[in-house]
Amino acid sequence: MKQNQFVQQNEARWQQFEQLSINLKDDMPAEFPILYRQVCNDLATARTRHYSPSLIAKLNDFVSVGQSILYQGEGIQISSLIRLFKYNFFRALFENRYYLWISFGAFYGLALAAFAWVKIDPDAVYYFLDVGSIKDIESMYDPASSVQMDERESGSTVLMFGVYIYNNIGIAFQMFGGGALFGIGAILPLLFNSFYFGAISAHIVNVGYESTFFSFVVTHGSFELTAITIAGAAGAKIGFSLLMPGQYSRAHAIKAAGSTVLPLIVGAFIMLVIAAVIEAFWSPLHIPNTFKYCAGAVCWFYVLFIFYRGTRYGHS
Amino acid sequence: MDINKKVMMQYQGLDNKFFIKLPEGVSINLVPAGIVVRSCAYLYDFFIRALVFALIAAALSFLGDAGQGLILIAYFVITWGYYIAFEAKSGTTPGKKKFNLKVVQDNGLPATLSNIIIRNLLRPADAFPFGYCLGIATMSFSKSYKRIGDWSAGTLVIYQEQKIKSALAGDNISQEDAPSIELAIDEQQAVVEFLERSKKLSIARQEELANILSEALNAKDEAATHKLKSMANFYLGQKI
Repeated sequence: MKQNQFVQQNEARWQQFEQLSINLKDDMPAEFPILYRQVCNDLATARTRHYSPSLIAKLNDFVSVGQSILYQGEGIQISSLIRLFKYNFFRALFENRYYLWISFGAFYGLALAAFAWVKIDPDAVYYFLDVGSIKDIESMYDPASSVQMDERESGSTVLMFGVYIYNNIGIAFQMFGGGALFGIGAILPLLFNSFYFGAISAHIVNVGYESTFFSFVVTHGSFELTAITIAGAAGAKIGFSLLMPGQYSRAHAIKAAGSTVLPLIVGAFIMLVIAAVIEAFWSPLHIPNTFKYCAGAVCWFYVLFIFYRGTRYGHS
Repeated sequence: MDINKKVMMQYQGLDNKFFIKLPEGVSINLVPAGIVVRSCAYLYDFFIRALVFALIAAALSFLGDAGQGLILIAYFVITWGYYIAFEAKSGTTPGKKKFNLKVVQDNGLPATLSNIIIRNLLRPADAFPFGYCLGIATMSFSKSYKRIGDWSAGTLVIYQEQKIKSALAGDNISQEDAPSIELAIDEQQAVVEFLERSKKLSIARQEELANILSEALNAKDEAATHKLKSMANFYLGQKI
């Protein structure tokens, strides 16, 4: 069949397809998939009969448009993120359990080591931090200071919420992304943060402000610190898939690692949002410390329970 | 090697097209977008983000401390959420749309939410140590111009197809007899392509191109273009 005859025969159908694909609303007309398959068929026919390149290009574009309409993604929906957290998160915890355990152990191990070091040798904190920032931290947790005594205004509560969202989640995402650099971008910030956290806690204990400090950090720390270790483990896994691709090619290994750790970073994101809410609105409240320690115990129990069940059994 | 394969290979060499097999049993070709056009799209998006952030920050700056907090949240959402929100919705951002690009999966299907999240959260690795140096290096070493985020998410950035194309077929020059010269199929295609492109070429350029074949056609200038076009029309089947 000559090309023009072929075009004449099918042109009406192509125009119908084109009109449908441009004016498509949410509900798909029943004839669209049928027309799409016919266009696919036309493209195959045109190729085997060596019709002109512009006809093939036109049909190619039709098929391309058709498949992008038929196979389009679900878009961005809160419900799909929650589904990802509810089901895939636990499976991902299980699949990556060795990374998570190592990251968890490294984070708290180094924090404890730093804590012990600074507890034994109080001057050691000046090796890592300059005097100015130590003074700042001391004034934040000094029971007699204005930061602790005055009721916070609602405005500064929102400000701190913004800081926690911007800073903490930003760090978690940076660690996840930086992890692709052979894990270095994830491991270094993780260890740095754990060391810093341990050293500061010990210093606060040394100067005797522990009641204001621990009552403040205990509740949100459960979600925040665990989320940071999860984000670090997820980033490190991507990097290690490049270092040790095993039986796969590196291109395939990094792709597989990406899809297994995705629920982890989504989970860490949700946990950090929860942590930011607690840190901004609950932790600075002026209530007896007993309440805060009780809430902290509940949160720690819940987070560790999820972490244990997830890494051990893969479901809640 | 059969002609079909040969033609496809020439296309691949010349236009950097990708042939991807669909479950429908046909293959389509995709054209991956290169570093320059993607950088332009990035800059365009960057200016939009900067503008939106500046407007939000200006509006919120009157709210005191609470406004500062909201500005930080807005900065976070714009930095990390802009690409994820737009690409998850339609596979393109305003900048990509401007330069006619879109994100698809390796197999040509529209990218899913998971793909989009991974490719955008890995931007810190591509941006290392500054100005997307590593991303540009990775892109220049792969045929499909993938940055690290694209490798990990399994995505490609391709040129988007135009929804409406110019009409097919050409002039009213007809040809009753078969051409005197026997041509192979890819040569016939070249002649047909000449006819289809001739609408975009000036008369002088058409004649210049046709004159390359003046010996074989036994004609020059206007006669040569006329002869080529009538041959093309014969192959297209203008006279059935």
